[in-house]
Amino acid sequence: MLDVIEPILFGVLALAIVGAAAGVVLADRVTTSALLMAFTFLNMAGMFVLLGAETIAAFQVLIYVGAITVLILYGVMFTPQAPRAYGLFFQKQTPAGALIAALAGLPVMVIAFAFRDTANIPPRGGDLVPLASSIFTDFAFPFEVASVLLLAAMVGAIVLVKREERGSGSAGPNDTTSPEHSRAKPVIGRARE
Amino acid sequence: MTTLVPLGAFIALSAALFFIGMAGVLVRRNAVVILMCVELMLNAANLALVAFSRRLGLIDERGSVFVVFVFVIAAAEVAVGLAIVLALYRNRPTVDVDEVREMKG
Repeated sequence: MLDVIEPILFGVLALAIVGAAAGVVLADRVTTSALLMAFTFLNMAGMFVLLGAETIAAFQVLIYVGAITVLILYGVMFTPQAPRAYGLFFQKQTPAGALIAALAGLPVMVIAFAFRDTANIPPRGGDLVPLASSIFTDFAFPFEVASVLLLAAMVGAIVLVKREERGSGSAGPNDTTSPEHSRAKPVIGRARE
Repeated sequence: MTTLVPLGAFIALSAALFFIGMAGVLVRRNAVVILMCVELMLNAANLALVAFSRRLGLIDERGSVFVVFVFVIAAAEVAVGLAIVLALYRNRPTVDVDEVREMKG
């Protein structure tokens, strides 16, 4: 009984991931794309749980489904979204495109399915303790560099969307996950005037 | 407990998601949608890293560490990318990457 659950879960999650990702590419409205992207990331978190990486799944939900989707939605909100049809799919090049996709995809799939499980890692037990001990011992320096990178990205985002004119002075970054949020609001406000 | 889903299935799903994201980057012309598709590609790479880390046995838990770094890069990338898109939109009222061709030779 328990042996059947895992492939079924994998099938459902894989269908949801591929379908929602195709929806991201094919959807006409950008908001639909953004929400389908969040759905893809949520299902990917389920895939990480299936692989036994619960900590990564938690990070996935926190960072991708939480922060990045909200950032993208803010980007959708602050920019004009013209309903533009994607004229590139399903034109008369479809047979050639399908041929090229098959020629490129078949070797990739053959190579992908050629990988075999060789690990004897117990699927239970979680990955928090090995992950944390690895980050804070072997990868302590890259970890610190990553924090510097985040700081640089935050400062860069603030500088990029900063307006030099009057009134843009001293609000300051109050949210590290969405640095341009506090700055970007006046942009659309002025653009509407 | 036996693992019934083979490693190859995860890698194949990762490749499929990566190619879907790449098709989106190539086909869509909206800069925000292109950012979303880049996120899809990063996430596909994350799935491959976690699958190899958990199942291949060559690298113990260290693939997951790289996934954490990919998370950091993705967050920084989407923040700076959206800032660039907003700065672009302030200078010219479009987010269509085909209409921004000042630096095209």
